[in-house]
Amino acid sequence: MRIDTQSRLFRNPLSLRYPLTAALIVVFVILSGSQRANALPAFARKYGLRCSACHESWPQLNNFGLKFRDNGYQLMNDHDAPIWQNPSYWPVTFRITPIWHRLSVNQNVDTYAGGVQTGTNSAIDRISSSGFDLSGLDFHTGGTLEKNISFYVLPSSDPTGAFHFETVMGRLDNLFGSPWLNIKFGRFELNNLLSEKRTLFLTGNGGIYQTYHFIPVGDGNIFGQMGDNQLGLEYVGHSVDDRTRISASLLSSSDGNVNLIMGANSYSEFFTFDQAFDAGKLGVQRLGAYAFVGQAATYYKTSGGVPIPGSGIGNKGFSREGFYGQFYFGPHFDLNVVTQHGQDNAWFGQGYGNPIATNGNGAATCTAAPCPPNNFPGTALPVGAQAPSWNGVTFEARYVYSPQLIFLAVYETERMSQQANGSGYTVGFTGPNGLTGPSASNLGNISNYTIGYRYNPFMTSRAGFAWHNEFNIFHQQGTGPASPISGLSTNLTVSELLLGFDFDF
Amino acid sequence: MRRSLIRWSLFLLAAAVFSLPLVSWAQLTKADLDSRLKMESHVGNITGHAKDGAADYHRYCEGCHGVRGDGNGEVAQWFDPPNFPKPRDFQLGIFKCRSTPTGTLPTDQDLYDAISRGFDRSGMPIWNTFTKQERVDLVAWVKHFSPRFVSEKPGTAIQIPPEPEVTAERVKAGREVFARVQCWKCHGVTGEANGPSASTLQDDLGRPIAAFNFTEGSRPKCGDTDQDIYRIFMTGLDGTPMPSFADNIKPDEAWDLVFYLRSLMREPSKEKAIAQQLGLKPVDPNAPAPTQ
Amino acid sequence: MKTQYKFVAVLSTVVLIACAALVHMPQVNAAGEGKITGTVKLDGPPPHMKGIDMSKDPYCVKANANSTPKMENVVVGASGGLENVVLYISEGLSASALAEKSTTIPVFDQKNCVYTPHVLAMDVGQTFKVETSDQTAHNIHPNPNPMTGNIPWNQSQPPGAPPVEKSWKAPEWIEVKCNIHPWMHGWFAVVKGPYATTDANGNYTINNVPPGNYTVTAWQEQFGTQTAKVAVAAGGAAKADFTFKSK
Repeated sequence: MRIDTQSRLFRNPLSLRYPLTAALIVVFVILSGSQRANALPAFARKYGLRCSACHESWPQLNNFGLKFRDNGYQLMNDHDAPIWQNPSYWPVTFRITPIWHRLSVNQNVDTYAGGVQTGTNSAIDRISSSGFDLSGLDFHTGGTLEKNISFYVLPSSDPTGAFHFETVMGRLDNLFGSPWLNIKFGRFELNNLLSEKRTLFLTGNGGIYQTYHFIPVGDGNIFGQMGDNQLGLEYVGHSVDDRTRISASLLSSSDGNVNLIMGANSYSEFFTFDQAFDAGKLGVQRLGAYAFVGQAATYYKTSGGVPIPGSGIGNKGFSREGFYGQFYFGPHFDLNVVTQHGQDNAWFGQGYGNPIATNGNGAATCTAAPCPPNNFPGTALPVGAQAPSWNGVTFEARYVYSPQLIFLAVYETERMSQQANGSGYTVGFTGPNGLTGPSASNLGNISNYTIGYRYNPFMTSRAGFAWHNEFNIFHQQGTGPASPISGLSTNLTVSELLLGFDFDF
Repeated sequence: MRRSLIRWSLFLLAAAVFSLPLVSWAQLTKADLDSRLKMESHVGNITGHAKDGAADYHRYCEGCHGVRGDGNGEVAQWFDPPNFPKPRDFQLGIFKCRSTPTGTLPTDQDLYDAISRGFDRSGMPIWNTFTKQERVDLVAWVKHFSPRFVSEKPGTAIQIPPEPEVTAERVKAGREVFARVQCWKCHGVTGEANGPSASTLQDDLGRPIAAFNFTEGSRPKCGDTDQDIYRIFMTGLDGTPMPSFADNIKPDEAWDLVFYLRSLMREPSKEKAIAQQLGLKPVDPNAPAPTQ
Repeated sequence: MKTQYKFVAVLSTVVLIACAALVHMPQVNAAGEGKITGTVKLDGPPPHMKGIDMSKDPYCVKANANSTPKMENVVVGASGGLENVVLYISEGLSASALAEKSTTIPVFDQKNCVYTPHVLAMDVGQTFKVETSDQTAHNIHPNPNPMTGNIPWNQSQPPGAPPVEKSWKAPEWIEVKCNIHPWMHGWFAVVKGPYATTDANGNYTINNVPPGNYTVTAWQEQFGTQTAKVAVAAGGAAKADFTFKSK
């Protein structure tokens, strides 16, 4: 019944969209009338610069914003220390994003006839849901405590109001007066040139870079996600004009989870280098490379069969490496490219590596079976198991009509080059990773398309406000609902249309 | 045929008579505007065009310097001189940091350097993230705000002789110049910006302004190289109380003064070491004024 | 039809003649120049002039040990004569009379930490000189509006400094300041054509005025301007007195 109602509603989606759009426009007009907010985005307010000085379109940084960040949130004009600020200055920025979205995904459903259930997951239907929603609340607070000593703390809530610390870090910059010596300590975003935390997209699959999070189907290694904020120590160096940038980080292999519940004795390293070139009228072009190499535990000691948090051993390796490119074609158009070649150890490919399933905020939740597989002493790899590897690329194109209006398009693709369950895998055998027999060569491949635009009706140094419209289609091979006929997994397709406001004040 | 000719003549005559005042006015402003929008700038072998700098000005500069370049952007009201000097009014065409004599327009290179260098202890950031071309275009756009750049040529950059070797004699002689031209009236005998006149300083628009404090490790607003410091007191910072000393300090003495000023700065330097070795004392403000 | 044509022809001729008349305005003969004299007075009690605290600079205190320095915005002499009023011909001068430039070089001195004279009048383009008689450093900092064509400059004059010679491009009342001694305050009164400044008794004489009908303007820094019409005969002296009201 419920499904019926929904499909009827969306048979003519325009009937819903018109009044909705009208209502949004009314709200938009009212809000854009009050141009001077009382509360202010922290950095713009501190320095009196408009959002557009540092952001191509906030929160995405431009070259000047990148330099500001690399200098430890300092303009380097001897007025960075808080002693120069008006005493009422309070370095806090709120970001909230009320949205309306329509989400559509194919899924297995039960079937009914005459009021009686006739099958369990025996059909595939497309579930489309729409409505008003929230995407959480961010409290950004950051700035300088003293010249060359800065901090950034970002308590962030999910849409239900559950908070976690997205970013908590201290920075020491320009040690010995050199821009080549800067240290970050805490939980922070990796030095990715194309920053996921500053993405201009808001949808579930478009708002993250698949290239930064890709994990083969059934793989147990969650630790190589360079899009997630990580816990560790980072060295950053850059030239005075920020044309050359270099970083090296030592990270806990915990994917940013706190309390040492993950492996606890395994570490990863992340390296980046990029160089910008002066291309005259075209603008600054930047080329770079990164490498993420690390080890993570595949065996946890158990107590009564339950893995003991922090007891991880049996470290196995993984790697992600690739190139960055940022190409400007004059003041209006730019193209960003990130490539990746990734590889996980065969043990990860079989699903080992994450017996402490977490909720992402540090709490261990796997207290009852079935927990993810554990690499107990004496465990053997299934015959034909091999190290999964893949290649991926992200293209992000932006057309900046003006600092207030930006059009965006992203295309991402992730392609497996070697599956964990290789051709030598026993046909019909279901491995610890839950996959049966040799895997199809394209299992888990992703294609992701997002287009959108952001419009800032006003532009000041005081508050950011954007009207945001975006559409995403995410497509993955072999991870969709099982076919009622063959029982085999079909492809997963998720689409999302989003209209929303982005407030920053 | 004839009739229409007469009618046309009549119409044209009337139009000409009535539009005489309008024409002269319109021609002036239109021509003025056109020549200003066509403003070019030349730095090295790069030519900048005003129109190409407009987009970057809008994105990066307008918030402070304003749409019309009058220094009245939306945030200018919150700037709090002397600690936070107000944004420059480009329409006046008066610039602090020049290589040209006081009362003349700066060169394109001077404006380019100002954009690239930023202004320490002010809201003006260091815009060295732009490409050279983008900066030269911005220079042309900044110039287009002032009619002076149409009607006047920039001044001729002052000649700076090659920098001599730092010697104890020169540092000592620099101290004598410091005493003679009475830098200490504003900058203080120790360079701490606490001279007797420091507290009442105002810029040309009547806003409070601070003398440069040599001792707190800040960079001078118009640059930190020895040549920059030479240029600062030999051209003066127009629009501020800092005068030009070109008539009163000879080029060779100017280098002596540069070395002495270095010795007042906080950063370790050869000059500072020499001054310490010599045990140089601050100048005596009550000593009878030596004459030239 | 024909009448219309005639009308156009007549109108055109009239316009042409009018234009020609405008171009060939009454040419004034340079010979037999006269002068304009008069007295400028202040009606009412002179406004209180604040005393100057020169304690910032011991030299200035010493130099004024025998007097009490006061602001000089309004200086009234005996019998109400107003000093430092600038008089010039604001209307009626021919182009050739305007082109005639005086060769004298007015001098603006910095003496005992005040400007002498307080108001220095000069013609557009006329060279003037700034000197210092003091044993303390001054900076001479006129602050004209650059939109007039007069460009601000700022030069230091330490003790014994050579004079500074300059001129101005456009008529303007230009304020002069010394940033080192914030009380120092004077004027460059730049006008077109012959001019005069009143003496301590308020008397003035504008010399070298060709015969003709003129408007004379008197400018006082605090009270503004007043005008009077005069007729100067060849070799004669016209009289124009002014009275400013003290508010």
